[in-house]
Amino acid sequence: MKPSATPRRAKGAAPKAGRKVSTQRQEAPPPKRRGANSQQTRFSSRLRAWGRHHRAVSWDSFYRLLRHPVGSLLTMLAIAIALVLPAALWLTLDSARLLDAELDESATLTVYLETTVDPAQAARIDEAVSAEQAVLETRLISAEQGMVEFQESLGLDDALAGLDANPLPASIVVRPQSVELASMEQLSVTLASLTGVDEVRVDLAWVERLRHLAALGRRVALALGLLFGLGVLLVVGNTIRLAVESRRREIEVVMLIGATHAFVRRPFLYSGAWYGLGGGILSLGLLGLGNHWLSLPVAALAASYGASFSLPQLDITGSTILLSCSTLLGWLGAWLAVTRHLSSIRPR
Amino acid sequence: MIAFEHVGKRYGGRFEALAHLDFRVARGEMVFLTGHSGAGKSSLLRLIMRLEKPSRGRVIVAGHDIAQLHASQVPFYRRQIGVVFQDHQLLFDRSVFHNVSLPLDIQGIEPRESARRVRAALDKVGLLHREKALPVELSGGEQQRVGIARAVVNKPALLLADEPTGNLDPQLSADIMALFEDFNRIGTTVMIASHDLALIARLRHRILRLRDGRLVADEGAV
Repeated sequence: MKPSATPRRAKGAAPKAGRKVSTQRQEAPPPKRRGANSQQTRFSSRLRAWGRHHRAVSWDSFYRLLRHPVGSLLTMLAIAIALVLPAALWLTLDSARLLDAELDESATLTVYLETTVDPAQAARIDEAVSAEQAVLETRLISAEQGMVEFQESLGLDDALAGLDANPLPASIVVRPQSVELASMEQLSVTLASLTGVDEVRVDLAWVERLRHLAALGRRVALALGLLFGLGVLLVVGNTIRLAVESRRREIEVVMLIGATHAFVRRPFLYSGAWYGLGGGILSLGLLGLGNHWLSLPVAALAASYGASFSLPQLDITGSTILLSCSTLLGWLGAWLAVTRHLSSIRPR
Repeated sequence: MIAFEHVGKRYGGRFEALAHLDFRVARGEMVFLTGHSGAGKSSLLRLIMRLEKPSRGRVIVAGHDIAQLHASQVPFYRRQIGVVFQDHQLLFDRSVFHNVSLPLDIQGIEPRESARRVRAALDKVGLLHREKALPVELSGGEQQRVGIARAVVNKPALLLADEPTGNLDPQLSADIMALFEDFNRIGTTVMIASHDLALIARLRHRILRLRDGRLVADEGAV
C-alpha cells in the first residue's frame, strides 16, 4: 500500500477507476492509523471512495455516449437547437440594449428660434434655457452654423449656394436631465413658452417605442428560454428514461445487493450532464455558424446606412453561462427521469 | 440471527402466502427451507431480504425488527446479507470479475483491496482462471458459482440461497451444497431454499418444511 510501490494494476481491475487513482494516491497516501484517528480515517477513506466512484462513473457514462455516437449526437443536436433560439434572441436584445444606451446619450430636444431673433437675443434665450432645472446642457447653433452643418450632411453645396438668404433659424440643442418621455415633453412645453422660441421638437416617440419593443422582446426571450429549457428537460428526460429502461435488469440486481438510490442514479445524472454539455457546445457552434452566415449581409446593410455594425457574439462569460445552463438542464432532466422511474423499479 | 414471530404475509389482501410462522435460526446455523413450489419459500426469503414487509408479526434479523428500517437504511441492511438466486442474476455485459466485485463497488471498497477479495472469492468457488470470461461463456454450474462468489465476496454474516441448484445435475448440485457447507463451517449463517429433498436429506442439517405458507415440520433442530 505504499505510494512508492509500482502501481501494478491488478488484471481485470476496474480500468475506469484505475486510470487516475494511481496519481491521486501518490499525493495522498492512505493513512493507516488506528485509535483516535480511525474515525477520521474512515471518513476520509469514504470520501475518497466517493470521489473515486464519481470519477469512474463520469467516465463510464461518457464512454457509453461514445458507444452510440449517432444517437448521442442526435440528442445533443436536439438540445442544441432548443438552446440556439433563446440564446440568439438574448444576444440580439443585448445588442439592442447597447443601442438603447447610445440613444439615451443622444436623446435631445431641439429648440428652434424665430427667424427674427438676432444672435445676441439668441444667446440670452440660450442662457434662459440653460437655467432650467431639467436641462443638463445646451448647445447654441447659429443660423450660419446650421447652414454649414446642413450643407455638410447633405452635400448640397451648389444647390444651397444659390439661395439669397439663409432660410434656417438659429436653434438650441438641449440635453435634458432625464430622458423619460413624460419629463421631456413637460420640458418641451416649458421651453416653447419662452419668447423668441418658434418650436420645440422632441423626436423621442420612436425611442420610446423601441424601448417598449425591447421590453417586449426580453419577455418573449424569457418565455422562450423557459419553454425551450423545458424542451431540453424533456429531451434529456426521455433519453434517460430509455437508458434506465434498457439497464433495468442491472438496476434491479444492484438494488438487490444493497445499492443506494444515489448510487443507481449517479451514472444517469452524469449521462444527462454530458448530454447537456454536448448540446451546449453544439449550440455554441450553431451560433457561431449563424453569425458567420449572417455577418456579410448585415455588414453590407449597415454599410448602406453609412454605419458599421457587427453581429453580437457570445463572450467568454456568455458562453460559460450557456454551457453551465445546458449542463445543469441535462442533469436536472436526468434527475427527474431517474427519480420518476426508480420508484417503479422494484427488485424481484 | 433470524427470528420470525407470528409472521403472516398476504398479497393483495386475499392470497395468504405465509401464515403463523414462528421459528428462530441461531448464529452460525445452516438451515434448509423446503416444500413444494408455491409453499412460500421464496416469500420467506424475500421477507428476510426486506424486499417485502410482513403483513403480520415481526421479522427480526441480527436483533433488529427489519420492518422498522427506514427506506434509506435498507441498502445498508442488504449489504450484510449475501444472496444467491436460482437464476443467479448476473450481469451479462461485464466480466466474471466485475460481476463479483459489484457488491464491493457499491460499498466503495478501494480497488486493490476489492481485487484481492474478488480473487479470494473466485478462488474459493474454483473459478479464478475464468475471471475475464463473460457469464455467457460459462456453464450453468459455473454461472451459479459466480453468483455464490458475488454473494460471499463481502463476507456476509448471513447467506441466503433460493433454489441454488435448481437447474443443475446431481453432481454439480452436491458440489454447490458442499461450498455452502464450507462457508457455514467458518461461521456464516446459511439458509437455503430447495426442493431437492434427496440431496438435503443426505446433508444432515436442520430442515424447515413449509406447506401452503405454514411451517409443518422443523426437523433436526438443535
